[in-house]
Amino acid sequence: MQHNSVRYIVLFAGAVCVLCSFFVSTAAVFLKDRQQANELLDKQEKVLEVSGLLEELVEEGLLEEGKRPSKDQVSKSFDERIVMRLIDLDTDAAAADDVGIDPATYDQLAASKDPDMSAVVPSNFARVRRVPRYAVVYEVFKDAENKELDLRVLPIEGMGLWGTMYGFLALDSDGNTIRGLTFYKTKETPGLGKEVEYSSWQSKWPGRKVFDANWEPVIEVIKGVAGPPSEAPHQVDGLSGATLTSRGVTNLLRFWFGEEGFGPYLAQLRAEGSGT
Amino acid sequence: MNGKANRGGHGLQKQGLYQAKRGTSGDGTVPAFALSEKMKFLRELQDKQYELFFKKGKPLEKFFPLYEANDTFLYTPGDVTKGASHVRDGLDLKRMMMTVVSALGLCMLMAMYNTGYQAFLAIEGGAAPLDSWQSSLYLTMGWEFSTSSIIGCLLYGAFFYIPIYAVTLVAGGLFEALFAIVRRHEINEGFLVTSALFPLILAPTIPLWQVALGISFGVVVAKEMFGGVGMNFLNPALSARAFLFFAYPVQISGDKVWIAAQTSPDGYSGATLLALAAHGLEIVETGLTSGIYALQQSGFTWWDAFLGRIPGSMGETSTLFCLVGAAVLIVTRIGSWRTMAGCVVGSFVMILTLNAVGSDTNPIFDVPFYWHWVLGGFAFGTVFMATDPVTSAFTETGKLIYGFCIGVLGILIRVINPAYPEGWMLAILFMNMFAPLIDHFMIQANIRRRAARYAA
Amino acid sequence: MAIMSREERTVLLDPFFNNNPIALQVLGICSALAVTTQMAPSLIMCVALTAVTAGSSLAVSIVRNYIPSSIRIIVQMCIIASLVIVVDQILQAYAFEISKQLSVFVGLIITNCIVMGRAEGYAMQNGPWSSLLDGIGNGLGYSLILMGTALCRELIGSGKLFGMVVLQSVNDGGWYYPNGLMLIAPGAFFIIGFFIWGLRTWKPEQVGSED
Repeated sequence: MQHNSVRYIVLFAGAVCVLCSFFVSTAAVFLKDRQQANELLDKQEKVLEVSGLLEELVEEGLLEEGKRPSKDQVSKSFDERIVMRLIDLDTDAAAADDVGIDPATYDQLAASKDPDMSAVVPSNFARVRRVPRYAVVYEVFKDAENKELDLRVLPIEGMGLWGTMYGFLALDSDGNTIRGLTFYKTKETPGLGKEVEYSSWQSKWPGRKVFDANWEPVIEVIKGVAGPPSEAPHQVDGLSGATLTSRGVTNLLRFWFGEEGFGPYLAQLRAEGSGT
Repeated sequence: MNGKANRGGHGLQKQGLYQAKRGTSGDGTVPAFALSEKMKFLRELQDKQYELFFKKGKPLEKFFPLYEANDTFLYTPGDVTKGASHVRDGLDLKRMMMTVVSALGLCMLMAMYNTGYQAFLAIEGGAAPLDSWQSSLYLTMGWEFSTSSIIGCLLYGAFFYIPIYAVTLVAGGLFEALFAIVRRHEINEGFLVTSALFPLILAPTIPLWQVALGISFGVVVAKEMFGGVGMNFLNPALSARAFLFFAYPVQISGDKVWIAAQTSPDGYSGATLLALAAHGLEIVETGLTSGIYALQQSGFTWWDAFLGRIPGSMGETSTLFCLVGAAVLIVTRIGSWRTMAGCVVGSFVMILTLNAVGSDTNPIFDVPFYWHWVLGGFAFGTVFMATDPVTSAFTETGKLIYGFCIGVLGILIRVINPAYPEGWMLAILFMNMFAPLIDHFMIQANIRRRAARYAA
Repeated sequence: MAIMSREERTVLLDPFFNNNPIALQVLGICSALAVTTQMAPSLIMCVALTAVTAGSSLAVSIVRNYIPSSIRIIVQMCIIASLVIVVDQILQAYAFEISKQLSVFVGLIITNCIVMGRAEGYAMQNGPWSSLLDGIGNGLGYSLILMGTALCRELIGSGKLFGMVVLQSVNDGGWYYPNGLMLIAPGAFFIIGFFIWGLRTWKPEQVGSED
């Protein structure tokens, strides 16, 4: 057959396509489970970290300080101590179990971009444009046996200096005290704003309070040094030279604990009393 | 031929002189006015050194550039421009560079005075003095931390300024000499300007090792990598500053670096006025966050900013002294008034536009032009950096456009990008890169115009 | 060496210094800027790119006599793209943390000029064995510069090598001030610039002619 005949070209192209797609789809199918497991573990590990469960592992001597936990450790801690709960930010109901969404597979980031799953919010300093209807809250228990609520991990996001910062905040069951804060994805300036991703700064958060006596969110990142939580319950040290990133953190926290975010949900929990 | 090639030509010419000098120096090419008795001794010393060490074939032959640098520093260069195409003028590279340095003189004095003044102002406002050798030496000499003593301010500031200047000269000079020796050309006086400019655009508290690293980067990467003086397309002093700005942002930006005292958030704010304007201050009655209001409440007046008694890089705060420098440069025709005028007009247009547009979330939008012109690096950059003859545009109309673009861009970076309130440096560096392109279009336009004229 | 003739050795080793894809051909700069802040992701990137270049050169060379010339570029693209997707999938499954750091840059190997350039420029004219060597050689040449850049950037920018602390930074109580310029993309420009400067001073024949 002639190499330049139309028939040959079509056949050749077809053959290449079939071969290549076979190759690619085989890889995709065989590796899919592993990839999903990776993604899940990654998220779970972050939640464990911000809720202080990894630290517990270290204290119990099961994990070396500074080392990453094994897959089994992550899924074991997570399954024993954490329950994912979907909350409805529209009705501010604590749970919406009947909507047919599994919180384990629910992708909140994707939902906040989907017009059917999210709502536009008024312009705000955190520069959050859309808020998803449903948010995932991780409820963390004090120990594996008796399911007493210790803290909740809430997803947060908002503009820093160069782009959106994504993170988690661990809130004590009193609905006010911060137990931990982490940002896992930011585009901040290396050496300045990027410090929000590191533990040296994140370790200043536990013990601070989000709300004042009137349950207004007043937590803020200030310029300079704030002092221990007992003296400055609502203030956290600013990052030297990164005023705008620091302000971004303040803005996004005030947004997520305000009217448009988790504010009403947390108020409802308080009204219910114990908060469980 | 474009502008770049023209600039390159100068370097080649110098190479030629270098060769010529080796053959003729020491045989009486010394200008007559230098031959007083004492001077004669010096001349003889220089010549003897040359004969013994630096002449071709002698042990220190390789280090001839070092000898030559010293020689031309003491005497007028032995060689004059040859060839018919050159205007014979007393203005050689050396005199040109020295004029720039002297135009900077007042800014240097201001650098020392203001460094001391700002530190003392902070100390009087409740800040603690820096725990450093500067403070100890100052107190040991029997002085007090008081803003009322001009000499005291100058002295304390000098303790910060002079080490930085010295480190700049030594570290940068080392690389200059190294490249001069390796490339077998003379050490160029251009470095005197670079080294005079560089400390003036630094914070007084910058660690000295950073000064050394910065100027080395400026000399090696911005200049020598491209072939040395005349071939560089980026301003070496500004490149050095930009390098430090991105490499060690904590030490060169922010609130804690501009004042040589221990400023604290609840005591005395060490932010520059630009940072204050960018941050804004809420007007209680209206609830609006305003940049101009923040400036008015800063404790500094417009006149403070104009005279230079505000926190900032050491030598760039005084708009007044920059104006004096501008006058010197324009009268001696070393700095182009077109470039400076372009910057002023460009920034004026841009500021008015931004004032008109306004913004709810960005307070610095409402700062008027007369404030912008006395803040940050505007005056210093416009007068001493943008006009650098090697890195600015070459053609006369080109200089206007080049300056205008710096003005527009500088204000744009300052206002729109909250991370770089001191964006003048970046605007100039950016336009440095476009200068050859501007020249190219200017020359092409000229050629077309002439062609059209003669075609008729 | 027995398994390789002199020419084959040249094919393999030439791209290291004499004809380096980054330093001389100035190809593949995009990923060299993006992934080199740390050595570990750079190493993975190098392995991925070398695998793709070698694989695509081999595959293209095997079918080179059957490819109709009118669709040869698209066929090469198809082969390269498939290889890249497979590599990306493998990374996501077995090196998840690093594949997240590399993000789109693994996918962008498809548009990396080195891969395409070797397939079109060499593998279309030469046998499978030489093409494989050429692919590996160019991948390694790329890796050499990439790892060098990453070494400088991680050491100067964070005081670490492969994540191990070498120079204790001031934030962690040490003495070293990390150089922030090395952590942003322009830092790689300067490092690569220095490499090219050094290489061309060493081998002056690589200096381009003025035009």
